[in-house]
Amino acid sequence: MGPLIPNGLIPMEWDSIIAIIIGIAFGFVLEASGFSSSRKLAGVFYGYDFAVLKVFFTAAAVSVIGIYYMDYLGYLDINQLYVHPTYLWAAIIGGIIMGIGFVAGGFCPGTSLCAVAIGKLDAWVYVGGIMIGVFVFSELYSFFEPIYNGYFLGNITLVDSFGWNPYWVIFIFSIIAIVAFVVSDVVRKKVKKVFYS
Amino acid sequence: MDKKKIARVTSFRYQILALIFILLAGGLVLLPKYQKQEGIKSEALLSHATSPERYISTDQIANKIINKDPSFILIDVREEESFKNYSLPNAINIPLAKLFDEESLPYLNQSQFDVVFFSNDHFYADQAWMLCNRRGFKNLRVLNGGLNTWFTTIINPEKPSQDMPAEAFELYATRKASSMYFGVFYPDQQAVAEESISNTPAPKKVITVQKKKKKPVEGGC
Amino acid sequence: MKTDKKTNSHLYWNPYYGGFLLGIIIIFTFYLTGRGLGASGAMKSSVVTIVDEVAPTHAENNAYYSKFIKEDDTPMNTWLVFETLGVLIGAFISGSLNNRIKWRVQHSPKITSRRRLVFALAGGILFGLGAQIARGCTSGAALSGMAVLSTGGFITMLAIFGSAYAFAYFFRKNWI
Repeated sequence: MGPLIPNGLIPMEWDSIIAIIIGIAFGFVLEASGFSSSRKLAGVFYGYDFAVLKVFFTAAAVSVIGIYYMDYLGYLDINQLYVHPTYLWAAIIGGIIMGIGFVAGGFCPGTSLCAVAIGKLDAWVYVGGIMIGVFVFSELYSFFEPIYNGYFLGNITLVDSFGWNPYWVIFIFSIIAIVAFVVSDVVRKKVKKVFYS
Repeated sequence: MDKKKIARVTSFRYQILALIFILLAGGLVLLPKYQKQEGIKSEALLSHATSPERYISTDQIANKIINKDPSFILIDVREEESFKNYSLPNAINIPLAKLFDEESLPYLNQSQFDVVFFSNDHFYADQAWMLCNRRGFKNLRVLNGGLNTWFTTIINPEKPSQDMPAEAFELYATRKASSMYFGVFYPDQQAVAEESISNTPAPKKVITVQKKKKKPVEGGC
Repeated sequence: MKTDKKTNSHLYWNPYYGGFLLGIIIIFTFYLTGRGLGASGAMKSSVVTIVDEVAPTHAENNAYYSKFIKEDDTPMNTWLVFETLGVLIGAFISGSLNNRIKWRVQHSPKITSRRRLVFALAGGILFGLGAQIARGCTSGAALSGMAVLSTGGFITMLAIFGSAYAFAYFFRKNWI
């Protein structure tokens, strides 16, 4: 019954090694999907390349379906998984700031690391910028703290907050994802092509 | 011909994939739901039951009370009358019949404190332990031997005879000191006793209860 | 800019294929460790380590750094740092298999590389700030959060993409 490490089925010492292996797979897939190119990433906001949307939504939908199947079949206890905590306004404000950063810099942290690995200098600068951003946040922590710690709703899922049936949520989410893919293909045909290398 | 067929099928590959995808997601909705077993599994219950952490000795408890250890709560599962008659300091009375009442659950179903059950022996305490464990409550312990052992070891410790090893004498001294803390009067040590009540003679040896090494899930960026 | 459409279109994996594999990786991550992926956590650990090295007393007094400073261990010894090391290795392997490794600044032909770097720095600062406020970036909060249907994960995802679309107009010169 998973998760394996928190339940002691794999010794804790393996944690770091598994972290590196998972990281390698993660980095490989991101890079191979083209996420090391900021122009490809930014394409999703201008309609000339929807790889981000497709990879992101496919990954989210596949993982959520897989996790719920594993829970259903008894391999994984969904209640033991780490649920990202919900701090309502921190998530909204942080998300908005990240969105501006995304479209200005053309990367998000995970993808910038991929670009760092293949020698993109703009990604090196971007990672430096992230570290400055973390530094700024930490230095001004007392200023951000009310937002950071306020409006805490707990480690909740959509099931907890709206009382929705998780299976229907997943089903509707999958349909939304497919509709989004179809729409993105239509949009891409209409938008002027942008080439980059 | 075959190539053409394959080409025709592959031109629909995204539609086919989308269909599979929706079928899989819809499968979750349509799958028959079964009631998941409430509480923990029998195997886990067994491993809890055989764990050495299940029982806590009277010496450990005395030690914790004297040191004003804030990490545990004592639950007296006997009837209310017996509880009023005598109980351990700061114990909370939850008779076995009222174990799952609304007002007792906050004490039992939490993860901050160790819950120590006790009764006259450890028979009823054990049942409370088992019932709560079945519900999946955490950090449950049973006072080994209950109040009877409490009296014979802490309140009225047996004086070791001369031929017993030194540890027995040490233990006796510790227990005697504890019993003074709990208000037992020794005629030969009146002065010491009075002093020790004010000073709360904490035994030097701090008994640490070893917790299983287990990491809670954490995460995020 | 030279446009060689044929090689360009075959340069990267089909996005659905990449997304499928990424989803499988997330499932495995949850199955093995009970937690999701992340990226910005490692950068936070690095910053904490640097500040702790340069000004230990300051780091201890700051309410935020002190959360991550451990008595007997460096702040770098976290799961996410190891995972990030793996990301660097994995991306390097993939990049070298496809001959994509070289030092360069990638930017639109309409802007100078200097401008690109300035915007990358500004974007990085904003993303770093936002990721700390929201307790996670696109991978940690949005992607891993959505995998367990976390409400916060969905809100973060909507906020990131919503604001990125809203502000895309102002940065269009950099990209198209």
